Amino acid sequence: DSHIQYERVGADVTMKCGSMDWDAAVTWTANGTDIDESHLNGSYLILKNVDLTQSGQYSCYEGSSWHLKYQTYLRVGTPPKEPVLMCRSNNYPKGFYCSWHLPTPTYIPNSFNISVIHGTREMVCEKDVFPKNRCHIRYLQLFSTVKYKVTLTVTNPLGKNSTTLTFDEFAIVKPDPPESVVAKPVPSNPRRLEVSWQNPSSWPDPESFPLKFFLRYRPLILDQWQHVELSDGTSHTITDAYAGKEYIIQVAAKDNDIGTWSDWSVAVHATPWTEEPKHLTTEAQVTETTSASTSSFMPPPTTKICDKGAVVGSGAVAVCWTAGLVLAAYGVLFI
Amino acid sequence: GDSWGIFTFLCAALCNLPALPALNCSEELGTSQSIQKTYDLTRYLEHQLRTLAGTYLNYLGPPFNEPDFNPPRLARAERVPSATVDLDLWRGLTDNARLAANYRAYSRLLCYLRALDGQAGTAELRHRLGHFCSSLQGLVLSIAGVMSSLGYPLPTGPAGGPPASPGVPAAPNDFLKKMDDFWLLKELQTWLWRSAKDFNRLKKKVPPAVVTLRLEAREF
Repeated sequence: DSHIQYERVGADVTMKCGSMDWDAAVTWTANGTDIDESHLNGSYLILKNVDLTQSGQYSCYEGSSWHLKYQTYLRVGTPPKEPVLMCRSNNYPKGFYCSWHLPTPTYIPNSFNISVIHGTREMVCEKDVFPKNRCHIRYLQLFSTVKYKVTLTVTNPLGKNSTTLTFDEFAIVKPDPPESVVAKPVPSNPRRLEVSWQNPSSWPDPESFPLKFFLRYRPLILDQWQHVELSDGTSHTITDAYAGKEYIIQVAAKDNDIGTWSDWSVAVHATPWTEEPKHLTTEAQVTETTSASTSSFMPPPTTKICDKGAVVGSGAVAVCWTAGLVLAAYGVLFI
Repeated sequence: GDSWGIFTFLCAALCNLPALPALNCSEELGTSQSIQKTYDLTRYLEHQLRTLAGTYLNYLGPPFNEPDFNPPRLARAERVPSATVDLDLWRGLTDNARLAANYRAYSRLLCYLRALDGQAGTAELRHRLGHFCSSLQGLVLSIAGVMSSLGYPLPTGPAGGPPASPGVPAAPNDFLKKMDDFWLLKELQTWLWRSAKDFNRLKKKVPPAVVTLRLEAREF
């Protein structure tokens, strides 16, 4: 008869040859290879301080007849450490998902059980087919003052462990990054780049739950990013790019009012438009000087560098103030 | 005609700055701008509340100021208007119902907050509470303004009435009183988050084109 046996790494394992007497003459094999008699205590097999390499099939044969008397599959592993649990709402207000993993492998099968409690009510978190170790929940109510309590328990034959997350509905809102980010040069404008993107497709209702965006860009040759925060629209024109330099550009999204910023989008590269060099003569130099002076009469860019850290609250106000002052200045000019 | 348009645009632009919720930018802003102003006010208040709630909860002391504090909601907490609502129901609210819910909630929350005012610990805390109450009063008035500009009647009931509605007993002990305060602040915070979304929806429903039409009509 054959079964599975789970043992901890470092444990001492004693295997009995089924119903055979202690003093019976037997031979043990591990994965078909004979085991030396020094590991035997009578007919018992003694494995001291087992390690992962000792996992395998162990068989016990009666001495003379070579009948198989006992067989077991030894799996060496560890009890589970505290699992890592994360919950996030990337599809607000539809619901949220939780995903988990173990910080270190156990080398033996684990089963996970997740429970979600909202006030007095227990909610069902539906397991996703893919990826595994993930489940999702639909919100029944919005704008709840009661926290959600999510407990994940992981169990395996050697032990169990659990972790709990408690959070408010608003705290876990984090959209997916913007999609289809495209950056293009603007013809005849050597310092401009036109960037456009789309709302993440997982965000179900951008009309009622609008997203705001954060754009960062830098030339490849520099380390320092420039930042722009945009409270609406899915496009922006960079007007202060260094002529002829290749830029790397990324966008992030956030619900206008709650939660945290998404991860950065996939980076796109673009180089501003440059004039085709025709001849290296004084004629070309004259053209360059003219275009340089006309660009100095262009209105100052309304994008301002905002430090991302200061964006929430006062930083956003600074952006709006500056834009407001510029508008006011022009208004006064025109009246 | 041209300068009117520019003036309105300027006015609207300046009044949209979230740092100036109390800027009195002439009489008729138009419904769209009123909604934007109300939205901005909820954001301003939400930001102020974060600091105020932190200070007040510290004054209440543990466990109220612990981040993990997650008490069960007692029956007596039900008198504080809750922002919680069924998702489909919230989506389907008419503009009138949406505005009325906000108006009623903040009117009552203001009442309860004012009751808090007299007993709070330090003078600084009382001063902050007083300032917040003024701003909250501004929000109630702003919502009323939007409702009347859309032609909706203001909901009747105790808008600035007595602090405790009759029939609800005062807290029998100090701990329950603190629980009341805790839930008040929590509901207020949730309402401010909800209102941002409410006014977002209203913004989309009332297009800015309405403003231009009304001003041109006035010129004649």
